[in-house]
Amino acid sequence: MNPVLRRLAAVPPAYYVFALLLLVLWIARPNMLNPNVLGIFVRQVVPLGILVLGQLLVMRVRSIDLSGGGVILLINYIITSRTFPEASGLMFILMALAIGGAVGLLNGYMVAKRRVSAVIVTLAVSIILVGLVQFLSSGKPPGDVPKYMNEIFDIKYGPLPLPVLFWLGCTALMWLALQRSVYGRYVEAVGENAEAAAFSGVPVERTVVAAHVLAGLIAAVAALVQTGSIAVGSVRVGLDLPILAVAATILGGVVFGRGEGGVWGPFFGVLSFALLFVVMTVFGIDDPGKLIAQGVIILMAAILYGWRSKRG
Amino acid sequence: MFDGQQEYLVEMRGISKAFGPNRVLRDVSLCLRPGSVHALMGENGAGKSTLMKILAGVHKRDKGLIRMNGVDLNLPSPREALSAGISTVFQELSLLPNLTIAENMFLGREPQTRTGAPDRRRMRAETAAALAELDLKLDPDQLVSTLTIAERQFVEIAHGIKADASVLILDEPTAALNAADVEVLNRSIRNLRAKGRVIVYISHRMDEIFGICDEVTVLKDGQYVGTRAIADVTPDQLIAMMVGRELADLFPARAGNLAQPVLELRGFKAAPKARAFDLTLHQGEILGLAGLEGQGQQRIMRALIGRHPVFGGSLHLHGQALKFPNRANGIRSMARLGLGFVPEDRKEEGLMLGLSVAANLVIGLHAEKPAVAPARALRDVVQRMSDALRIKTASPATPVGALSGGNQQKVLLGRYLAQGLKVLVIEEPTRGVDIGAKSEIYGLLRDFTNAGGAVLVTSRETVELIGLCDRLAIVHGDTVVAEMPAGQATEHGILAAALTTEGVAA
Repeated sequence: MNPVLRRLAAVPPAYYVFALLLLVLWIARPNMLNPNVLGIFVRQVVPLGILVLGQLLVMRVRSIDLSGGGVILLINYIITSRTFPEASGLMFILMALAIGGAVGLLNGYMVAKRRVSAVIVTLAVSIILVGLVQFLSSGKPPGDVPKYMNEIFDIKYGPLPLPVLFWLGCTALMWLALQRSVYGRYVEAVGENAEAAAFSGVPVERTVVAAHVLAGLIAAVAALVQTGSIAVGSVRVGLDLPILAVAATILGGVVFGRGEGGVWGPFFGVLSFALLFVVMTVFGIDDPGKLIAQGVIILMAAILYGWRSKRG
Repeated sequence: MFDGQQEYLVEMRGISKAFGPNRVLRDVSLCLRPGSVHALMGENGAGKSTLMKILAGVHKRDKGLIRMNGVDLNLPSPREALSAGISTVFQELSLLPNLTIAENMFLGREPQTRTGAPDRRRMRAETAAALAELDLKLDPDQLVSTLTIAERQFVEIAHGIKADASVLILDEPTAALNAADVEVLNRSIRNLRAKGRVIVYISHRMDEIFGICDEVTVLKDGQYVGTRAIADVTPDQLIAMMVGRELADLFPARAGNLAQPVLELRGFKAAPKARAFDLTLHQGEILGLAGLEGQGQQRIMRALIGRHPVFGGSLHLHGQALKFPNRANGIRSMARLGLGFVPEDRKEEGLMLGLSVAANLVIGLHAEKPAVAPARALRDVVQRMSDALRIKTASPATPVGALSGGNQQKVLLGRYLAQGLKVLVIEEPTRGVDIGAKSEIYGLLRDFTNAGGAVLVTSRETVELIGLCDRLAIVHGDTVVAEMPAGQATEHGILAAALTTEGVAA
């Protein structure tokens, strides 16, 4: 391959997809390219965007986390079901983080210490949590989301919604952590070659466990934002998010063990999903069509993953 | 030819090859007599692999001609080379572990029965015949995953000769083999030679070259240096041909008087039934574990970082009694105490090949810090190590996998030297490294001990241990059976000590 092409191929595909969708929108509906409209659409994908931060972390240490769906569902249920009528906002945040952290610790222990397949462990954990919520709710939808959560979610600074700013902040924080901390070096080393990392003195197991705990905590944060975005609780909320998060992460140029896309590649992967919804709405495609398009993108991401890892 | 008898089976003459601006071969010739084993030697980067890949049809030559039985060959692809009777066994193992030996041998070109199903009976029979030609007693239905590394290597070779090849290229076939297996391989090679085949043998190991080969061709910097009959040269002369220096010049001066002990093993047992032994490493000393391969040198060394179980004994480091470390954090806890372990397998256990030279150099220093600490770039350390080790790289940001073997090995050593450790335990300090870089690494290790460090080392190359070390401990049956000053040791003496002393208690 010639050097220019190789350079271009090394750019995470998310940037191309994003640019392409922007172009389509610009040609088809230039009036949609206004900050207020886009802000609303981007705000919708913030829970996904936050979840992706955890996903890219575990994928960089050659693991995966599919338990986010169950975590989001359980936290959403606890907040909307009035199981704890007296609980304050802070209490909910602490409960959410405790659930996310515990699930992450379990995932991490199973993956790093017991060497169980990450896909199976995290999927099983998610299924257990979903079953738990269905048991607790007996299948009936829970109650309303506390008003203040919706209000916080709706705050805007000019055209910029608060959740979008929050997502941007979280992403910057993750970028800084991976770039500037010793832990970031551990992640890089373990992802490249876990055995060599161990012989260099890197605490490999602890690095993987920590990645899963962080991913669990991040899923809890995503759950809080997701809850703020809806008015009424649901027993189905957030279940498609983990697989979308995997797709956005791969689109963003992060494949198992390799992180060329860094943090911003997956960020643009998520933005691409947001733009895709805009474009499909513009062309009058309904939910079934959107679902199919989502599936196609996940499929493409999987093909891309196979291609990239073969090249590597 | 005129007399009806070809002197050479294969002639490569005036071969030149460039990759872009990089001229890797200039006017190189190689002539192979039927019924001979021909060694191809040279430092890494001398052009051996490229020359062989041209013969195997992997690369196309820019200039020159290749003749086989007096007929010009074009060799545009590996398939053409194979059908011309040129077969290659590369160093990398390429068998599929979940298939049987027979299935691997016929992978992609299974013979078919009339119903279109694979003809298993024929596959089995032909595989058995190919294995028998190598004097191997393996069942064609055995899964490759159940074979030892050595057996896999033999299956690869059987795979290579099955195609009825008259030229067999073996690229470092013994890298994964121990001494007993090397002997089996040598017997197979002699069998093939007796059948009039030509074997091209690429290896860095002198004892093998002199044990099995008839002729040797030496390349240096992509140019032809000469071809000699093995009977007419000495190892020193061969090395001189490769690097323009004599063997004795490779090794630095030995240490003077030995100071206080640094690492002491007492009543140490590396295997349940092995005899307990004592071993002491002194400050300023390079101590080598010598002996036949696979006799426990590696197990003893790995036990020091918890990568191999210990069955008794005590460990003192700098006079302080320690418990033997466990597997989970042995490497980290020993590094904190000033002992570093340099693994043998650069690609699997040593380096993170996709990461930069700088990242590979400083990861050990980072690993001493807590995870939440800020990661400094440590450019001064990278610069200092690159200078001290003379690492040849375009930039510290270059992926370490793009470097030559010698430079990769220096980066690996540099990581542990940068940590300011006091004791280095090194498996194979110079595996797959060319002679120029070997000499530099010997010098670096001696600088390390002269500055107050101590090194425990093992190597498959006994000559290297004799030249590099101050003292040798001969290991046999998982125990130390003799100790001797390296200055008085000979390969013969080491072998005799290993085999005549009672090592195994049971």
